[in-house]
Amino acid sequence: MQHEVTERSGAFVVALHGDVDLDTSPSARKILLECVGKRRPVLADLSGVTYIDSSGVASLVESLQSARKGGSTFALAAVSEAAMRVLQLARLDKVFTIYGSVDDGLARDG
Amino acid sequence: MADIESVATLLARSDPRISDQLELLADMGQDFAAAMDIEATLARALERITQYMSAAGGALFMLDPSGETLTCQACVGATDITGLTLKKDQGIVGRCVQNNVGEIVRDVSKDPNWANQVDKQTGFTTKSILCAPLSVRDKRIGAIEMVNKLSVDGLFTDADLHMLQALTSSAALAILNARMATALVEQERVRRELELAAEIQRSLLPETPAVGFPVYGVNVPARTVSGDFYDFFSLPDGRIFFNLADVSGKGMNAALLMAKTASLFHCLGKTLHQPGRLLAQINAEICETVTRGMFVTMLAGIYDVKAGVVRLANAGHEPPLLHRPDGTFEAFPAESPPLGIMPMPIDDESFPEIEVRLDGGTLYVFTDGLTA
Repeated sequence: MQHEVTERSGAFVVALHGDVDLDTSPSARKILLECVGKRRPVLADLSGVTYIDSSGVASLVESLQSARKGGSTFALAAVSEAAMRVLQLARLDKVFTIYGSVDDGLARDG
Repeated sequence: MADIESVATLLARSDPRISDQLELLADMGQDFAAAMDIEATLARALERITQYMSAAGGALFMLDPSGETLTCQACVGATDITGLTLKKDQGIVGRCVQNNVGEIVRDVSKDPNWANQVDKQTGFTTKSILCAPLSVRDKRIGAIEMVNKLSVDGLFTDADLHMLQALTSSAALAILNARMATALVEQERVRRELELAAEIQRSLLPETPAVGFPVYGVNVPARTVSGDFYDFFSLPDGRIFFNLADVSGKGMNAALLMAKTASLFHCLGKTLHQPGRLLAQINAEICETVTRGMFVTMLAGIYDVKAGVVRLANAGHEPPLLHRPDGTFEAFPAESPPLGIMPMPIDDESFPEIEVRLDGGTLYVFTDGLTA
């Protein structure tokens, strides 16, 4: 898994690429929580995610919980088909705010 | 004078049986092989080597686990430097460890690496040094250093170096063996704890029911402990309460959350016979304590065997499949997110339930790749 962080319109956009699984989710968790910890809106760009397992989903859930506790926001954007299947199956689409694109997310959330 | 006194002390303790090199080597090899306490054995070995070499003093240095510093673990002779710490490449001993080569320094005052602060502190005068690395192939462990040969010319010979290298080779092997033995004991302890945890987990699963019982379950963990579980038990009115769940992640943290959730289901399920309300209560309990974004997907249901009806509540779990007598399948996807993610709004205390009429079919509930 690879990631890149960019700052846009006062928000952090964290793009995750590749498999987010038991091996790679600790580094995804670290980078997401670091960004959330700065108390600015965070948008996770999941367009490049080819696979996500429950430990990867847990990293997203923890980021959301941490953002809420800190009074900021955490949302998902441009979710790939593979990741969306998992999120919908577990009805996590009811938990996360999901935007169709990063631009859309920044316009409404950032 | 200090030199001569210390040697006198050593000679007084000398073992008359050690008469030649081979005997010393064989004797120390046996001592190392039988060593229960490697540190005491090394200290004893250092004393015998110093005595055999007719050196005024000897010191054993070990690299710390990070490989950055060398610390004197044992010392024989006039000056006690036990506990002295040097950087990994400091002094003649540091050079010897880094190069992994033994050496004789006949006049330390002319050696650019000589670290003379110890002499300044102790008042001892170091003239010559013999040093050999403790290593097994490229694995560096430390070094043994001999100081000031007590002969007429005060110089160590090539024969001394060869002998010291032979002795440090067997000492290094003994240290490595002792470390591996310690690691094995620790591994064994962890393995036993995991086995115990697995045994407790198995005890949380229901016993195999009698032949003909209308519910059957199987769980094969991928690791010793796992985050998957199921349970079923009969209620006094004959209905069967069951569940199947999967904790996010793997390993011990998943197993501990599994144990908590399984216990909550088994305990609350005895008095609360509505799957949706039961999930809401378990969710509230888990939300209070869960960490690291962990969650549990759970399917809970009550099977009314006489009516052939199952009432299901599904919190983010894989859709159960109904296999009908005509061979067709129907899936029942989750309507709520998993447990442990967000508390329910106060005015909505039940997860949604659905009713499935079996009509002679079989309902399969399972875990899969989502939390695999």
